Amino acid sequence: MGDLWIRGVSKRFDRVLALDDVDLQVNNREFFVLFGPTGAGKTTLLNVIAGIHIPDRGHVYLNGRPVDHLEPNERDVAMVFENYALYPHLNVFENIASPLYSPRYRQPKEVVRQEVMRIARLLDIDALLERFPAELSNGQRQRVALGRALIRRPEVFLMDEPLVHLDAKLRHQMRAELKEIQSQSLDTTTIYVTHDYREALSLGDRIAVISRGRIEQVGTPEEVYHRPASEFVAKAFGDPEMNVVEGELIEDSGRMYLDLFGQPRHFPVPDDVRNILDHHSSRAVRVGFRSKQIRFYPEDPEGKWLAGRVYSFEPLGATAILIVKVGDHSFRLRVSSEQSWEIDQPIHLAFDMDRAFFFSASTGKLLARSEERKGDVPWPS
Amino acid sequence: MLKWLRNLALLAYAAFALFPLLWMLIISFKHDREMYHTIFLFSPTLENYRVLFEKGDYIGYFLNNLWVSAGAVILSIVVGVPAAYALARFKFRGRESIAFTFLSFRFAPEIMVILPLFLIYQRFGLYDTYLGIIWVYQLLTLPLIIWVLRGYFEEIPPEIEYAARLDGYSWFRVFLKTLVPLIKPGLVASALLSFIFAWNSFTFPLLLAGQNVVTTTVAALQYLSSDTVHYGQMAAAVTISILPEVLLALFIQKHLVRGLSFGAVKG
Repeated sequence: MGDLWIRGVSKRFDRVLALDDVDLQVNNREFFVLFGPTGAGKTTLLNVIAGIHIPDRGHVYLNGRPVDHLEPNERDVAMVFENYALYPHLNVFENIASPLYSPRYRQPKEVVRQEVMRIARLLDIDALLERFPAELSNGQRQRVALGRALIRRPEVFLMDEPLVHLDAKLRHQMRAELKEIQSQSLDTTTIYVTHDYREALSLGDRIAVISRGRIEQVGTPEEVYHRPASEFVAKAFGDPEMNVVEGELIEDSGRMYLDLFGQPRHFPVPDDVRNILDHHSSRAVRVGFRSKQIRFYPEDPEGKWLAGRVYSFEPLGATAILIVKVGDHSFRLRVSSEQSWEIDQPIHLAFDMDRAFFFSASTGKLLARSEERKGDVPWPS
Repeated sequence: MLKWLRNLALLAYAAFALFPLLWMLIISFKHDREMYHTIFLFSPTLENYRVLFEKGDYIGYFLNNLWVSAGAVILSIVVGVPAAYALARFKFRGRESIAFTFLSFRFAPEIMVILPLFLIYQRFGLYDTYLGIIWVYQLLTLPLIIWVLRGYFEEIPPEIEYAARLDGYSWFRVFLKTLVPLIKPGLVASALLSFIFAWNSFTFPLLLAGQNVVTTTVAALQYLSSDTVHYGQMAAAVTISILPEVLLALFIQKHLVRGLSFGAVKG
């Protein structure tokens, strides 16, 4: 049915290379998330799939057949736009019905009526059918835009950051609703664009991480979170973002250590990682620690931890963000807000080397990560 | 107190603005012999109007004006709407220069270009033809339509066009069914204003047309004969001449202001 293959697609706008040799395979019925920061090229990729932009190089295949020569209205693709793109001069009913009035997908009036009502009830907007887009709130407009896309059954759904303009609470709610719609009624290949890692992890069957027009990694949520292919991917998932520091690998009495802040004793490298790093040409590496992998103590009686000072303490309800400065570097930790910290208060950090990520200092790609401890941490919320 | 003064000022201005029209109307109903003796009190007569329609020429002039003005506006719409769309949507070299060139048509006083145009028209046989006048009227009607509609098209997010394409509409249908309704206020307002410019034009039909294409503006000269000036007939001619544009403007007054200020589309 709706499998999609994007092969070697590149697209340039004037001086900007929006897409750089993008290669993706999306399986039928998959909820595929395209995740990346603003300006990464996500919308451009969606537009290429929809036929709105023609790539400079590369091809798009739908169900094994190339669609490069097809106009947008011939591709059987439906899209929900970031700014909804509702027709201002038509009311909600007519907006949703629009695809079924078009010459290509025309349906008889009675069928149109039925379908619009069904969709409107599904999205809880059946009371708004007479209103015009200008009279709706953002959340309502988003549902109308969804309705317009859902009303026919295309091969592929494209969603461009549909939740981005909603307030936080509504976003939470819609995320859960989208998940339900997706598993129940959608049953159609969906490509969902977002810059919110929580949406990506919660909704996606697989996630493609894109940055500056290049695909950094494609994998299941579990893979991108626990086995990030590069520093960029590692930092993209998780809040606060992973703490990454640069250090040097040194050898001392048969063991390998990481020299961070001039204190290698504290950072032994796990053996299975060491075996991989032995083959690595450079001695300089970048090490990443997620907040959970850093323990902190106000005092250091045995002198075996890293000394630093509290830079800031930001309570956010049940948890808090604690920023610790060690030398020039800041470590971001998520801590309980029950214990408060003063600025400039001394603090000591202990690092769980068994769960550290080792990245190449030159390319940023993941070199190694210890597998010694199985039974990984539970899924982040 | 202040409100009373303000109303008085407004009344005074209204009188100032409308009085010439009223005066002209009065004159059109006055007999020639009463012209210089009476002011407001006179015995009204339809003599002037009768003479106008009896001779039969005037209807012809009125229709001429209608053909060339409407023709010019229609041509401007047919050419201007796509031009405005292209100027709004596509990026190409010289885009701003071209846009400014269209605007610059309105900068040049007609007198300045009329002599070269006269020679060109004579050479190409466009002198005293409907086509010739409609064509030269583009200098009056095209710039406004292009500039107002360009603003309208720029206000419409391209995503609306994409959405309509993905809904299954061809580019042309998207243009007709989605874009045109959204530019309608601007289209109506600028078309109307352009019509008024064309209708009132004097220099072009005077010098670029002769016996064949005589507009009401030029025809009004007839009444300035060497011995006397038939004010009554002239007033009648002018009253009839301005009737279409006054009526149009009154009916579309509401749309005129709204349509000329960009910003039709939001959300």
